Amino acid sequence: MTLLWLRLAVILYGIAALAVLPAALYNRPRWRHIALPAAFTGAFFHFVSIAETLYAAHRALPVDTHETLSMLGLLLIVGFLILAARYRTVSFGIFLLPIAVLLAIVPAFDPGHEKIVYPLVRTGWIMLHIALLLAAYAAMFLSLIASLLYLIQERRLKQKRMESKRGWLPPLETLDQIGLNALRFGLPCMTAGLLIGSVLALQTIGLSFFADPKVLLSFAMWIAYILMIFIRSRSGLRGRRAVYLSSFVFLVMIAVWAANSLSAVHRFKTP
Amino acid sequence: MSDRSSIRIVRSSAKTVAAQTSRLLLLGVNHTTAPISVRERLAIPTHRLADATRTLADQPGIREALILSTCNRVEILTVQDGLDGGPEADRDTFHSGPQAPALSVIRFLNEYLQIRATDIEPHVYEFREREAIRHLFRVASSLDSMVVGEPQILGQVKQSWTVGREVGAVKSTLDPLLQRAFSVAKKVRTETQIGNTTVSVASVAAELARKIFGSLEGKTVLLVGAGKMSDLTARHLIQQGATMLLVSNRTESRAQAIADALRTPSITTGVIPLDQLHQQTHRADIIITSTGAGQVFTPENARALLQRRKNRPVFFIDIAVPRDVAPAVNKLEGCFVYDIDDLQQVAIQNKAVRNREAEAAESIVTREVARYSDRISQAPVTESIKELLLGAEALRQQEIARINQQLSRQPLTPEQLAAVERLTKSLTGKLLHPQIAALREMAADSESDD
Repeated sequence: MTLLWLRLAVILYGIAALAVLPAALYNRPRWRHIALPAAFTGAFFHFVSIAETLYAAHRALPVDTHETLSMLGLLLIVGFLILAARYRTVSFGIFLLPIAVLLAIVPAFDPGHEKIVYPLVRTGWIMLHIALLLAAYAAMFLSLIASLLYLIQERRLKQKRMESKRGWLPPLETLDQIGLNALRFGLPCMTAGLLIGSVLALQTIGLSFFADPKVLLSFAMWIAYILMIFIRSRSGLRGRRAVYLSSFVFLVMIAVWAANSLSAVHRFKTP
Repeated sequence: MSDRSSIRIVRSSAKTVAAQTSRLLLLGVNHTTAPISVRERLAIPTHRLADATRTLADQPGIREALILSTCNRVEILTVQDGLDGGPEADRDTFHSGPQAPALSVIRFLNEYLQIRATDIEPHVYEFREREAIRHLFRVASSLDSMVVGEPQILGQVKQSWTVGREVGAVKSTLDPLLQRAFSVAKKVRTETQIGNTTVSVASVAAELARKIFGSLEGKTVLLVGAGKMSDLTARHLIQQGATMLLVSNRTESRAQAIADALRTPSITTGVIPLDQLHQQTHRADIIITSTGAGQVFTPENARALLQRRKNRPVFFIDIAVPRDVAPAVNKLEGCFVYDIDDLQQVAIQNKAVRNREAEAAESIVTREVARYSDRISQAPVTESIKELLLGAEALRQQEIARINQQLSRQPLTPEQLAAVERLTKSLTGKLLHPQIAALREMAADSESDD
């Protein structure tokens, strides 16, 4: 059943991803009425699927790669729905919905068989550690998309191309707010997530944990994240330079994610 | 039911169909048919609309009435008694000599507005029945407006409808028709892009400002120089929510006069001496400049401006010729410069979009007119069929009761009774079928004749 719900969610995300194109690119409100309910229902089935999986495994958060990707997909959809409700824009769906489909399609049609051997996997702190870091990743990704959309909108306004059919982008100031607010939301999540992870690591592995490349990269990412918020808030960095900065931090984030394979201590599964 | 009585119902229904499908009359003038000198004579101000509608509805022969009076059109829609349909129904009776239906309206114009028919005759258009419905749907959907797609007309039609209902002039025929017109207008707006573009330079500027800042709530507008166009643009921005207006002009008293003219309880205004302009410009989010002095804003002072604003975007609306803002300013990140040509270009593009969308809107109106006409042409027939069926059912019940009474000594068993019920119902249905089919056919013929 778990897989069935997840597959259903993927199909609904797919429908939403297609419907959002005419809704956002051609400003057709009828398609918006398909995209949003499809994404919402998909998120519901996705949640049910994750909840069933975790309940069956007697734990409360994903730890294997497929589950984690699927959870990240769900968080991105939640982000999309929040933006649609708060800012009345579905433009973010052009990027977020296909990515959510990609993140959920692998676990839906080729579920992982990894076994988690980490002893703390069922404790509340480790769950919080993972949840907070996933939320920070999702926030960073949203911020990057907001910066990209800002750049596109800025170019359109500068080139004076105002065909209303393509008037799908939110105003510049709204995009700026979304980008900055996503970062401001992500920072405490990342800080708390890393702190919790560090304390747990100290207790279980000891100081050697902090010499691990994954851990070092994580702290580098945290510093980059803080720097980005500081620069954006202080100098009002927008447009092209904001995109460069966000892209840089995003790359660091991908590197942190990928560093699991290099890490000697941040690996908790058996193949 | 005897054949004679059912034939009587069919005949009377046919008459009802003919009478009821030809009773709508619309007379009017608009910006394309009449000059302002004629329109202003016919115009009825809002405060007199209720009285005028009541007077019109009181004219002999008029059952329902609605008056739509705007700056671009005056239209009178009536439902009249005894309008005879047929092949002549759609002909223009106003111009080929007023006939009874138009006479009631002419009498009203004469009595209420002291206008003779001959004064307005060349300017008046007249629509009946289906064409009147089409015209009403087009007007409500803003397809007949001077600026196609403008949203005000729907509000004006709604206002006339409200007044008409209040004075009892809009009743069972006009009320559903107008409600249908509103839903058609809504459909046109949601299914097409007809109302999504702005077509005047001032409104294009306001739309662009919204694309940069989103809501203009709390934004500051700086007016550099004075002019009719810049004044109009500032007013548009204020309407969109801008809350502060600064004015800078070579003549300070003139700047003060503009600031005073635009000040309202919700708008704060101020004057900036021209020599302090560059020190104060950072306070403004939108700068409308129209001095024509040339290069008031160069890339250097725009850079300084952005630095003071911490790179928050600034929108230059340059309506001066020669231009006040150097084109290179538009290349700076955070500066958006639109000169008069750019604004006009956007307005032209938007007009083209509107025209394209108007074609799609016309198809919606055509479809809706057909649907509504079908519905109203079928309505009297449906009533007649209902009447026919009720009469037959009463007769059937009466006969069954009589049989039951005759067989009271040896009453029918429930099974036998059920069989008799089935038999009589089936017979009634089969006997009535030709009459019902004939009624439907007549309604369809009457519709195609119209």
